[in-house]
Amino acid sequence: MEKLMNRLSENILDKFSMEFLRSQVLKNAYGNNDTVIAALDPRILLVWYLFFGLVPWFVNDLSFLLGSFLLVLVTTILARVAGLVLFLFAVGVFSQTGYLFLVTLLFGGDASAITPLLILTLKVAVISLASVTVFSGLDPDRLSNGLMWYGCPERLSFSISYAYRMLPMLMEEFQNVLLSYRLRGNPPAHDTLPGKVRYLAYQVKIVMEAFYPLMLNTAKRSRTTVEALELRGYRYAASNKEVKRIKLAALKTTCNDFLFLAVSALCVSVSVLCSTLL
Amino acid sequence: MNAVEINGLTYCYPGACRPTLKDVSLRIEKGDFLAVVGNNGCGKSTLCKVINGLIPHFITGDFQGSVRVKGLDTLSSDVGTLAKKVGYVYQDFENQIVRPTVLDDASYSCLNYAFPDYRERGRAALEQCGLKDREEEYVWQLSGGQTHLLALAGAVSLSPDVLILDEPIAQLDPMHADRIYAVLRELNEVHGKTIIVIEHHTEYIADFCRHVLLMKDGRVQWMLPTREALQRVDELEDCNIFPPQVTQAAHRLRKLGRLPENAPLPTIVEEGKTAFSGLRYTPRKTPRPAAPTAAESAVSFRDVRLSYRSVKGEPRTVFDGLNLDIRQGEKVALIGSNGAGKSTLMKLMVGLLRPQSGTVSLFGESIGAKKAEDLARYISLVYQNPEEMFIKDSIRADIAYAMQVRGIRDWQQRTDALLERFRLTAIRDRDGRLMSGGQMRRASLAIGVALEPSVLLLDEPTANLDIATRREIIGVLEEMKEIIGTAVIATHDMQLVCQWAQRIIVLSGGRVVADGTRDEIFSRSDLKELVGIRPPEIFSMARALDAEALCYTIDEFTECFQEEKEWKN
Repeated sequence: MEKLMNRLSENILDKFSMEFLRSQVLKNAYGNNDTVIAALDPRILLVWYLFFGLVPWFVNDLSFLLGSFLLVLVTTILARVAGLVLFLFAVGVFSQTGYLFLVTLLFGGDASAITPLLILTLKVAVISLASVTVFSGLDPDRLSNGLMWYGCPERLSFSISYAYRMLPMLMEEFQNVLLSYRLRGNPPAHDTLPGKVRYLAYQVKIVMEAFYPLMLNTAKRSRTTVEALELRGYRYAASNKEVKRIKLAALKTTCNDFLFLAVSALCVSVSVLCSTLL
Repeated sequence: MNAVEINGLTYCYPGACRPTLKDVSLRIEKGDFLAVVGNNGCGKSTLCKVINGLIPHFITGDFQGSVRVKGLDTLSSDVGTLAKKVGYVYQDFENQIVRPTVLDDASYSCLNYAFPDYRERGRAALEQCGLKDREEEYVWQLSGGQTHLLALAGAVSLSPDVLILDEPIAQLDPMHADRIYAVLRELNEVHGKTIIVIEHHTEYIADFCRHVLLMKDGRVQWMLPTREALQRVDELEDCNIFPPQVTQAAHRLRKLGRLPENAPLPTIVEEGKTAFSGLRYTPRKTPRPAAPTAAESAVSFRDVRLSYRSVKGEPRTVFDGLNLDIRQGEKVALIGSNGAGKSTLMKLMVGLLRPQSGTVSLFGESIGAKKAEDLARYISLVYQNPEEMFIKDSIRADIAYAMQVRGIRDWQQRTDALLERFRLTAIRDRDGRLMSGGQMRRASLAIGVALEPSVLLLDEPTANLDIATRREIIGVLEEMKEIIGTAVIATHDMQLVCQWAQRIIVLSGGRVVADGTRDEIFSRSDLKELVGIRPPEIFSMARALDAEALCYTIDEFTECFQEEKEWKN
């Protein structure tokens, strides 16, 4: 038993190593640019998101929510979202509503609590999965172009795509700084349970401390970046309407986009129809 | 017309009390290939930033005199207009890349300056810089050399007349360095660009540049054709610039009276063939002491297999069935092109990576079950990038950290001793990041040996350093030989390899393709093609004179090539 526990805790720690996190984040940001979802026009996808991100809040109809849930479930699968994100989603939904159901049962509630809780859960799930589809299915660069088309400031869209370019390097650097702590540090022994708790606290502390060198290193780098941006005409472009037009000319809507909207609309209408018939 | 004309320029950074550039006047002809050399802090980079208008438009300060680029006065034009005339590639070029994919970045400037055909321009620039088939790749998938070419493509895309590169090859292995210079030569000869490089590697200057400009304390010392410039050995060495090894050797032989006073010194191997033709090779009497053999194994790899998860597609296999032993007391150099598995091998040794199968053992014990923290006492790794080792706010705290947290009794005295040993006492309270390249390196070495490990691993200890600092670090490594039992260095720096290593292991594609002493490795010509290793210039020079000759340093060369050939007498 003891051995099993040990194996388990080692395993979990192992799974949540920086390497794993890094690979998951990278997979999410860069690994799925060839999916059906990624190929859609970001403007269309944003409109779509506006609907599925807002409407569920105001509708309590079970069959509509169920229909939407099935739809966003399919889009999430199509977007090939990374496992970690889905796991966080599951944890998030449970911590929002799932536990309420358990608590209800525990304190003498009965199955009648299921329906209202199910509705709430479905709402949260639809909205989260729609967000996951859009923000992790679309590569950040396309997303930022879409936002810019709707009039978001150029600065925001530049930040998104710059973060997208820097992310892998920052993560690698962060990992290396953490390794420095690991190689030189002396973590508390973690054979016993209190030891394990101390070990966890130590790790959290190290992760927080590691941000300090990371920030300084980044600040050091940014000197060149700022000068280079100036040379490469960043400031010039920000005040030039022509540049924005040229940039956005690359966005094109295709049949697939309309097909996607049509299928979504069909799904929604069928579910609404169901609810009126039943 | 001159590409660049500077008249009576004096410039002082804001807040500085002394001017960085003093009364600089010079003319750079259109189509020139100019190398700017000089000591650290002599104003080379400042001069270049004056040419592209960053000074005084972006960085203000006290600016007197005039600078004209293609007839355009920089003071009255804005940075945007000048950017179309002058392209600039920074020393830390990876920070000037701001877009996620290759084509996006190459065409970024053109997009910003509202060229409707920005993509075509980007593509054309990529083609000129030899990155044609990499348009869709993400920038972080590129190797160092390719990233540099991308930064260059970003500058070339605006088709400027002048290209400025600040230390283009400081971070690259010889193969990539050759590639960069080949691209620059083509831009210069075929596309008629004027090229200005800040460069310490005089071998490359001798091969590629037409003129050399020496700066000293903010002033232009002289500007001369390359051959003539490199003859001035004493003057250059005064400014910490070391002429090509062939030239240095000839200079020394001339002082010894072995070469005539008036003949010009050779600057490349070809010229050396005639200049040294009168000398005869005599093998040295005292061979180097052989490396201690038959000692017990310090680190051993048995059937090690390792592959990386990749973002997309199949995992990439780095090692498949690797077997290797590093014996106690050995000084090993690990060489091979980028991506051959050198860093991965080091990470396996310190337990940061675990093999999928096979075992890595340290002093006969498998490290499979041990934690990296526990191994730190026996084996220590110094990263290529010292900044990633600075986790505290002063280098004293950084050096002390590992000893302090382990509760080593006299950690304070030991820290002070280390500071003294690595000549860091005077700057012990400064943040590591704010120090010079050489100081950062020394600090990272001090951190690495703090726990007195039995095995020390160094990843590229001389990368990114100018030649003078590199010499200093090689000296420090030489001194460290006494305190460190076993050491492994992964490096591209063949001068370091030749001077320091007793055993050389050549990796290629995750396999050990050669393993032996420097004589065994460098006399094999097939390796040169396979992994692109290149011996120091002086070695090639000696071989060109006598196929049997094996000289790795200038000392050895001048020692072996002294006697005049008999038939000449």
